[in-house]
Amino acid sequence: MTEPAVATPAQAELSAEAFSDLAERIEREIKTVIVGQDELVRHTLICLIANGHALLEGVPGLGKTMLVRTIADVIDCTFNRIQFTPDLMPADIVGTNVLIEQDGQRQFRFQPGPVFSNLLLADEINRATPKTQSALLEAMQEQQVSIARDRHQLEPPFFVLATQNPLEMEGTYPLPEAQLDRFLFKLWVPFPSEDDLVQIIERTTGSQTPRAGKAADAKQIVAMQRLARSVPIAPHVTAYAVSVLAATHPDGPRAPALVKEYVRYGGSPRGAQALVLTGKINALLEGRYNVSVDDIRAVALPALRHRVIRNFEGEAEGITSDAIVRAVLEQVPAPAVD
Amino acid sequence: MSLDPLLIDLRRDLRPFHRRLWLRRVVRGATRIAAAVAVGQLLLALVARLMPFEWHAYFAMGLIVAGLAALAVYAVRVRPTLGEAALAVDSEQGLSDRISTALALAVARPELADEAIGQASAEEPTTDEQRFARLVRRQRRDAVVSLATADPRAFRPRLPRRSSATTALCIALLVPVLVLPNAQNDVLAQRQQMRDAAEQQAQKLDQTAKRLEAGRTDPDPRLDIARELRKAIKELRDRPEDLDRNLARLGSLEDALRSRIDPANEQRAAAITSLARSLSRLSTGTDSNTAGDPDKTKQDLEQLKERLPKMTDAEREQLARQLGDLETVARQAGGDAQAALADAARAVRNKDNVAAAAALDRLSEALQRGQQQVDLNRDLAGAASDIQQARRDLARAGRQGQQGQQGQGQGQQGQQGQGQGQGQQGQGQGQGQGQGQGQGQGQGQGQGQGQGQGQGQGQGQGQGQGQGQGQGQGQGQGQGQGQGQGQGQGGMLGGGGSGARHLGSGHGGSGGFRGPTGDNRQFGTGDLDPIFADFDRLGRPGDPSYIAGQGGDGQSQQGQGQGQGTNNNALVPWTNVIQDFSDFATTSLDRTYVPVDVRDYVRDYFSSFDR
Repeated sequence: MTEPAVATPAQAELSAEAFSDLAERIEREIKTVIVGQDELVRHTLICLIANGHALLEGVPGLGKTMLVRTIADVIDCTFNRIQFTPDLMPADIVGTNVLIEQDGQRQFRFQPGPVFSNLLLADEINRATPKTQSALLEAMQEQQVSIARDRHQLEPPFFVLATQNPLEMEGTYPLPEAQLDRFLFKLWVPFPSEDDLVQIIERTTGSQTPRAGKAADAKQIVAMQRLARSVPIAPHVTAYAVSVLAATHPDGPRAPALVKEYVRYGGSPRGAQALVLTGKINALLEGRYNVSVDDIRAVALPALRHRVIRNFEGEAEGITSDAIVRAVLEQVPAPAVD
Repeated sequence: MSLDPLLIDLRRDLRPFHRRLWLRRVVRGATRIAAAVAVGQLLLALVARLMPFEWHAYFAMGLIVAGLAALAVYAVRVRPTLGEAALAVDSEQGLSDRISTALALAVARPELADEAIGQASAEEPTTDEQRFARLVRRQRRDAVVSLATADPRAFRPRLPRRSSATTALCIALLVPVLVLPNAQNDVLAQRQQMRDAAEQQAQKLDQTAKRLEAGRTDPDPRLDIARELRKAIKELRDRPEDLDRNLARLGSLEDALRSRIDPANEQRAAAITSLARSLSRLSTGTDSNTAGDPDKTKQDLEQLKERLPKMTDAEREQLARQLGDLETVARQAGGDAQAALADAARAVRNKDNVAAAAALDRLSEALQRGQQQVDLNRDLAGAASDIQQARRDLARAGRQGQQGQQGQGQGQQGQQGQGQGQGQQGQGQGQGQGQGQGQGQGQGQGQGQGQGQGQGQGQGQGQGQGQGQGQGQGQGQGQGQGQGQGQGQGGMLGGGGSGARHLGSGHGGSGGFRGPTGDNRQFGTGDLDPIFADFDRLGRPGDPSYIAGQGGDGQSQQGQGQGQGTNNNALVPWTNVIQDFSDFATTSLDRTYVPVDVRDYVRDYFSSFDR
């Protein structure tokens, strides 16, 4: 278990080197609990630093909840978990005003829901009704909750990790495209390799289970978020990100054949924002002060896979969003000269 | 505004990469252009093998020059910017867009390229802008450090595979295509020869035209001829390769000239000369006008006119008789002269001095007009001769280059004879030597000219047996391989047989030359081989001939003539007489219509002795 990072003053600026060290430390602590899943951990961390939210999709038992809980432990933030069920009500998420009696007077007082935390695990989000889903999604987007004409700001960092199970689709309410767009990343949780499974078994069936230590706190995460947005990006790299996004549209001039044939709608401008912002973080994590085309390519899959809406033919023929995004990356050349 | 030192360092360190990127682009462009040029050269070479391509060398050179020009333009246009060099370095050296980002940010945000950014970034940032500026400078420093680790030598030029392979393949194909003999080159050489010959003949004809125009004023037939000649010259220069057309044009012109030439011109000229000489002698009593100049005669006749009143009757009678004796010559000089002479004689005899003086004036004027007509005819004949010579040279140039033609030839030797000849395959226009044997007998006395020529290609044998007198010309041409047999009779025959597929025409003139015949002896070219000088020449080359030849065209002609000749039985080395033969033949060619190609053989025949 590592020592927690030296806390910096609340408004102190984080240097790029400190950013890299801090991120490395967070990753290392997470990996003391999470075996394998390096890319998942990295992308989750990027999403956290980008002040976005992630939708994790994977079969049960792959450690999604464990990942979120570990992150909460590592960054020393408040953590809540909501198990979405069909009877879950919005108030169960955002909270409600309750009538209380104090000093002989009755008055309504706001009782915050589980959304008032730094890290929120929305487990199996697709099992709740759209009304309940939208309550959470509003909080995700606005970083605030409106109840009875009162607005309640959520404390930064506010990071939602929603999960959904791709197998049991019976009685679920799939997230509409507009709601999906509000997730910065959609992450696949892959099944671990056999070696990783061996380690998982060893770690979880012994007398002691590993615990992650604190590596950062909420203020440091906010500082990281601020620094990430300051990373310079060259115009040609921004143009590349835009080109990639434009190529996801079937009527785009650079759209590959796969997109033209199997895509109904391409990514929204949020997709390009996600590409650039997460690209900046990826650059910082790599120890650079500039965004490269490779950074854009590295985050293209999680940033765009849920933003590319397949048509009926695409779904019927099993064309995955990942295949489409990869085709786009192959089609759009990186700016280079020879 | 001064540039951030980090940017200066970055730009400086980027220069070697910039130059190498430029070189790489130039090499790539050069390879592609070379491939295009090589393909073009190959196509040109193939075209030049399929058809006569006269401009092949120029096109080939033009292609190379165009390629070089294109390369120069390409080199200027592909000169990379520093930004492009930065992108190339980033992608090839794995610098993750560090360099290009640093330069792009300096361009996009010029305020961040200032030197002051260095001082500002040293302070703790308090605003987002300061934070951004600080990161920009850090990024810039990172770029400089990263670039220092890059090796420009790894930035080497690359040859495009497809272009290189295309170039190599084309060159490999081009070498044998260019090195192996090309049959079209012979065609081109022949065309060039034709053009050269055409130009040469055009220049000669131009001189002829100038000569005709010199000192003439309209109306003068010479000027008309000169104009026609210039048109022919223009066509000759415009279409030098159209041999048939040019020959036809010149032939037409020559025919037109010939038709205007009086065949008896030389006879008339001789008569005028003789008459003028005689009149001068009558007038002066001396041979003061041996040249027979009509102008001098006019002066002499003036003296005679002055003396007329002082003459005695006896002198008048003698003068009248002497004038009457000249009537025969005067008839040949022209009707006007004859009439004036008769009038003068009559007036002298009648003691009519006025009429005599007038008749003498008319006589002198008639002589002068006659002389002018003779001069005109001579000029026209000279022009016709020049045109004929030009046609001959053109025809010769057109014939050259032909090869491998076979045929049968039929030859005929000078006088009566039979010949058999075998020729070997020849190439182009050639001259052959023939061996002949002949037997003949000559009878009679007198003077005559005889000429016999046999020309064949390859080797041949001929036998001739003849009898007759006169002049004969025989020309035969044979080309190729074959056997020929000819038979001829007659002394004044002309012509040679030719059964050859090409150039197998013989022409001969027939005329009334008298000449002896004699034994034909074996032909030889040895310097001291004896030759039979078979006649005693009447006159010398250049003297007027009185009987015009008559053209003929055909395979062979047979003629028969009677003449008196004698065999002087003189055997002299042929070198002693060949020049006379040559001069006589040349003169005859100029005065007699002989087809151009046959003239060529005659001239070549004599010129072969010079060699």
